[in-house]
Amino acid sequence: MQGETTSSHELRHECEAFLYHTAELLDNRQLSDWHDLVTEDIDYRVPIRTTRERSSDTEFSDSSFHMKEDWGTLKVRTERMSSDFAWSEDPPSRTRRNVSNVRIVDDDGTEVELKNNLLIFRQQGDETEADLLSMERHDTLRRTDDGFKIAERLVLLDHTIIPTNTLSIIL
Amino acid sequence: MESGFNRVQRILDDMGDSLDVGEVPMEILNNDAVYEEELDRIFGQTWVYIGHESEVPEPGDYRQRTIGEDPFIFVRDEDGEFRVLFNSCRHRGANVCRAEKGNTSHFRCPYHGWTYDNSGDLVGVPQKSAGFDHLDADDHGLHQAPHVDDYKGLVFACIAPEAPSLEEHLGGATWFLDMYFDLIDMEVIGDPHRWEVENDWKTPTENFYGDNYHIPMGHKSAIEAGVGSDTATGEKESELYGIADCDGHAFSFYQIESDEPSYWGHPPEVVETFNHDALTEEQHEVARKSGVTLGTMFPNLSFIFLGGRDDPEKESVGTFLLRKWEPRGAGKMEVVNWIFAPKHASDEYKERAYEVGMSSFSPAGNFEVDDVGIWYGIDDAAGSVFARKNDVHTKFTMGSGDNAAATVVDDWVGPGTAYREGGMTDENQLDFYRTWYETMTDNGGT
Repeated sequence: MQGETTSSHELRHECEAFLYHTAELLDNRQLSDWHDLVTEDIDYRVPIRTTRERSSDTEFSDSSFHMKEDWGTLKVRTERMSSDFAWSEDPPSRTRRNVSNVRIVDDDGTEVELKNNLLIFRQQGDETEADLLSMERHDTLRRTDDGFKIAERLVLLDHTIIPTNTLSIIL
Repeated sequence: MESGFNRVQRILDDMGDSLDVGEVPMEILNNDAVYEEELDRIFGQTWVYIGHESEVPEPGDYRQRTIGEDPFIFVRDEDGEFRVLFNSCRHRGANVCRAEKGNTSHFRCPYHGWTYDNSGDLVGVPQKSAGFDHLDADDHGLHQAPHVDDYKGLVFACIAPEAPSLEEHLGGATWFLDMYFDLIDMEVIGDPHRWEVENDWKTPTENFYGDNYHIPMGHKSAIEAGVGSDTATGEKESELYGIADCDGHAFSFYQIESDEPSYWGHPPEVVETFNHDALTEEQHEVARKSGVTLGTMFPNLSFIFLGGRDDPEKESVGTFLLRKWEPRGAGKMEVVNWIFAPKHASDEYKERAYEVGMSSFSPAGNFEVDDVGIWYGIDDAAGSVFARKNDVHTKFTMGSGDNAAATVVDDWVGPGTAYREGGMTDENQLDFYRTWYETMTDNGGT
């Protein structure tokens, strides 16, 4: 597909397939397979959100984050989460990532910028009430010889106070 | 069925007896009656942390904060003074401030428009002459915490009518706080993490009083990943000291014996910016050798200062985190987590300090998630009928036997009692529960 022009419908379809696949990897706890699909120069951020007045420019911090990762720190996290001693994820939480509202923002032939919504259902142990995490993701997907990889991800949470005990999952 | 009052009395009686043998009735970690009393007798009686001066640098800057569950506005007024205003209009009680942070000269109530300046004075009442001619505006400013003071930029408030001075409350803790906030001009980076956890506020508080025994087991996954402090990963050899009997507060120190100064992993170019003359020779020596230090000031303000990394491939940096365990119900809390960096360090260094702090202790912190993951469920056991009927107690007797590795340091230069092999004693955690018990049973104010 590299260098080719696709219709916007096909492009969106192709991006959705990639997002669904990566969501499946995370839900199935194939963390190292997921990490293979991020670029070595990935910029991954989850800024802290605060309640602000309507007139304020933004609710998202530019200096404080829940996660601010590169390839190396994501490798540390995904390896650690797979350890037999990662108590927050053993027994693991049950997650279901629902990806929707995929919108293509730009395509320069090498990279596709897009937005998508993500709702994560998360439950652990005998809990019957689910933790729900809602967010919008601004992603940049890069075309490589092995297909798409995530080059940038900005996660804009719909939460100021995080409503789950631990963020020991990838968003 | 016993009444709430009887239940609290029974549990406190049990607590008094149990502490003598190094035990704590587990019920206190999830009991509605105890929780209600805590809000009143602890959070309504002692000095509670509000925020750091760098969070409100300009006049009019404000942040919403809580004391116990009570809503307050932490604001720097036009004269630069810190105010802790009760976020409730004097007229009908509505919140006058509805954003988490911002800058404003006035707080205007959205209900009827009563308006207060940022020192809390009532300056506007719509149609005052027609309806409130009789009202003396001077007597109707926003209610304020009666005691507000700061220690080296750390602002605290106390809502009891009578209170000791802040310095009296902090006592020996100031000796330690000087090492961070006098030696180093610190600033908060951005906004604090906030998240809700199904655990009693006392569980992490107890841990941060100095439970260094849990690290090899609880944090095995992070240590094996090669992240966190250089002393935990074994990158650097250290001696651990526990400081108890320090006016209700407690501390732990990992000291690195080396010719090379440590200063919590800060590199020489950052150490150069420190105010070395601000400390006594003894304090300075402890700071120079410090790998990780951590501790808690009663009731719910903990800190950890660590030199470490978020990726084994990267350089180690020093990062300071202050955390407040907010009570949000029996067996339930909100964590507020601030990350600090030395103000005079480069922007790049501050960013790295932030990243290492965030990756270690935060809702997604490689260390924090396993702590919380382990604590999850304590509240269910603590709130159980079984715990009540069978006198279930938690155990704090480590280091009390004849062969105890933890021994008192005779020539300790600071306040409190210092123990060598500080990971092998429960004295620090016992101090928390003793202070909790004394505060809960104190009828005469602090």
